[in-house]
Amino acid sequence: MSGTSMGCENYDWKSYVLGEMNSPGRREAEAHAALCPNCREELATLRLTLDTLSTLREEEIPRRIAFVSDQIFEPRWYSRAFRAVWSPNFAAACVIAGAILVHAFARPASNDQIQAQVEAAVTKAVANVEAENAEHIDRVVRSYDSRNSDIYKEVSGLVRQ
Amino acid sequence: MIFREVEDRDLIAKARRGDVEAFNLLVSRWERRIFNYLLRLLANREDALDVSQEVFLKAYQNLPKLDAVEKFAGWLFRIAHNEAFSLLRRKRPETELPPGLDLSGVRPAETGARLLPLELSLAVESALKLLNDDQRDAVLLKIYQGFKFDEMAEILGCPVSTVKSRLYTALELLKAALAPSVLRGES
Repeated sequence: MSGTSMGCENYDWKSYVLGEMNSPGRREAEAHAALCPNCREELATLRLTLDTLSTLREEEIPRRIAFVSDQIFEPRWYSRAFRAVWSPNFAAACVIAGAILVHAFARPASNDQIQAQVEAAVTKAVANVEAENAEHIDRVVRSYDSRNSDIYKEVSGLVRQ
Repeated sequence: MIFREVEDRDLIAKARRGDVEAFNLLVSRWERRIFNYLLRLLANREDALDVSQEVFLKAYQNLPKLDAVEKFAGWLFRIAHNEAFSLLRRKRPETELPPGLDLSGVRPAETGARLLPLELSLAVESALKLLNDDQRDAVLLKIYQGFKFDEMAEILGCPVSTVKSRLYTALELLKAALAPSVLRGES
């Protein structure tokens, strides 16, 4: 301390070792420390502390930080499409459109249409019955003719005898 | 170092214009520093990883708000500091150590033997845990990340005088916790 113009308390040795002191301040502090054992000891202790702290090594990061272009940030295509169009208004419009379509395809028919459908069904049924009857009569006639032919042959044979 | 800064500046400018790859490169450059800062501050590896992820996500989202490109490092560490302290407040508000803790019983080298590098490293880790969160944060930003006092004030959101006070108190505590053991080891 002797031989200097300032007392030890005026020297900020922490600022000195941390590199926060300007060049003139550093030169003045170094000149003081050269003559002051107490300040040299303080300086040495601080440097030793910082050296010890510097032995703590940086660690490698265990896994890399997910980049902004990675999958976790990127929704899949269907998610993006869904998000692009989905909204409460869109949902309401979908419900209304569905109801209109169901009504269009499943609504009840009018009376005229029902009448026409009944008439068509009756006509078809009558035609089927008539066709069946005609076929039955035809079969009976053919059977009758065949039996007459047989009887005629039998009678003719008896007559010739 | 200047070349690196110019490159970072260019990457930041590109990322601000929406270039994702440029931001990815920034992440790869800064992730280790941010992770180690958070690891020492939070003293938990998984928390440090999770918060690191949050930091870069927030950085990407808020990059257009960055005022000056040359302040990217401080801005990034400010996000990290805020996220870390948010987690610390949520997780362990009741366990924060009071400042001015008595260190007489926790000096790491009572035996007087020379410490191996691994032991020294463990002693430093133990000593850092003796500091309160604010003091440890100041030490990490100054000694391990090399920020200036005014940059630290911006990161921590407090006056330079507060930064110096926290750091000087922390150094006194660390000096007491570490210097005797090292001196005994060398004697």
